[in-house]
Amino acid sequence: MNKIKVKNLHFTYSGGQEVLTGLNLHFDDRSTAIIGQNGAGKTTFVKLLKGLLKPIQGDVWIKGFNTKEHTVASLARHIGLVFQNPNDQIFKSRVIDEVMFGPLNIGQVEQEAKKNAVNALDMVGLSGQAEENPYDLSLSDRKLVSIASIVAMNTDILIFDEPTIAQDFCGREKIKKIISHLRKEGKLIITIIHDMDFVAETFERTIVFHRGMVLLDGEPREVFSQEQELREAYLEQPHVTRLAKKLGIKETLLTAEELIDYVKKPG
Amino acid sequence: MKTLSLYQPGRSIIHKIDPVTKLLFIILAIFVPIIIGTWGAALLTLLISLSFILIGRVFKKVLPILGFSSIIILSVIIIQGLFYVNNKAPLFTLGPVTVYREGFYYALNIALRIYNILVAVSILVLTTKPSDLIEALVRKGFSPRIGYIFSSVLQIIPQMMSTVDTISDAQRSRGLETEGRLSARIKAFFPLIGPVVMNSLISTRERAMALEVRAFNSKRKKTFLHEEVKTGYSRFLQFILLAILLAAIVWRVLS
Repeated sequence: MNKIKVKNLHFTYSGGQEVLTGLNLHFDDRSTAIIGQNGAGKTTFVKLLKGLLKPIQGDVWIKGFNTKEHTVASLARHIGLVFQNPNDQIFKSRVIDEVMFGPLNIGQVEQEAKKNAVNALDMVGLSGQAEENPYDLSLSDRKLVSIASIVAMNTDILIFDEPTIAQDFCGREKIKKIISHLRKEGKLIITIIHDMDFVAETFERTIVFHRGMVLLDGEPREVFSQEQELREAYLEQPHVTRLAKKLGIKETLLTAEELIDYVKKPG
Repeated sequence: MKTLSLYQPGRSIIHKIDPVTKLLFIILAIFVPIIIGTWGAALLTLLISLSFILIGRVFKKVLPILGFSSIIILSVIIIQGLFYVNNKAPLFTLGPVTVYREGFYYALNIALRIYNILVAVSILVLTTKPSDLIEALVRKGFSPRIGYIFSSVLQIIPQMMSTVDTISDAQRSRGLETEGRLSARIKAFFPLIGPVVMNSLISTRERAMALEVRAFNSKRKKTFLHEEVKTGYSRFLQFILLAILLAAIVWRVLS
């Protein structure tokens, strides 16, 4: 079933150039990465999905609800968005209260919200810090708090804006695990991201934005094999893919494990 | 990006004149008509200022400024025309109200002065980058601290406005209703203001550290990023402006 349907979507900021020029997209259950250079329209696109911006022309349906006809707050029970900077949302003095804020807003009762918040904190590995002040945590932990606060809302669709920023290797692995866990629960995960390696390792579908249009759309292996188009969108292949190419391997390899397996393979 | 200044980028000769000369011109445009005290002087100054505006190609930007102040000036003309203390000779009558000559001319005089000030200041504001103006003043001995405060206010306020937008987006994304009934708006206050205050405290601390890393408090004489553009004619222009001011004073004293 299509969770999101986008039809002939056009968007322009007041008096500016057209940012999105007629997008047609469907999103099913596959976890999806949206990549593209700065200014390609990625953030504008997810803001339109979220209902924060309304289409100039065309329509966006979130689980059948047209974003033009519903407020952001009412769409919030179907679609969650984790912002890039956790400081843009944190205002409570305890982590658990911060995580419960969204669930309570969308009508979960206290007990349910608490349960969801505890589960979400558990998932991001912060259950020990539930009573602390979010501003006493490091930036990367605060980012995890902001992820938990959206996860706890238990929406069917989750969007992450640059989740791997300010994360070290451990943090990246943690976020990868969170994404695959949510995927298993049947949620649609959409991510805006610049980290090609992370895309190659994590996602089932990759969409390349270029100048307000979809340039490529498909499985990561298929997308990352098209070096010419990627270059046109000012993007690079993942490190492993480039290394494999330099080693003279014809196949498009995405992860370190694949490369190791390929090299070890006899013959 | 949003900015707080009215500056219009351009390449006209007016844009190239240094800010201090423009400041001097403002002083002149305000005081010379007052010193001389005739209608002709005020009108001539206004015409000169307007022609500078035209040369600077910013005439369109002056119109709203003048238009807005005209509402106030109109009220001055009405009030003075009707109620000025020395009103004697009627100028014209509209139904039951009579407008008097003395008050009318008195108000016109005020109007001319206001327009003079507005247009002269507009030359500076519309054709000078705020940071250039502040740098020029610091060069003239203005405290760099105060200069920094002025220029940072111009930058920080638009920056804060866009932070507020982002925060409001982030909270609405979590199901916070920010529109509608008053009670909803009041409830939305803390989730919105909390991150705004927190963010500005954090960025203030970072800014202070960034400044200190670059020895902002050092007592030594400061250097400037941009080299001073010393055009030969700016000194010449300033000399002429001062000469006109002196001439006006001398003329007034003698006559």
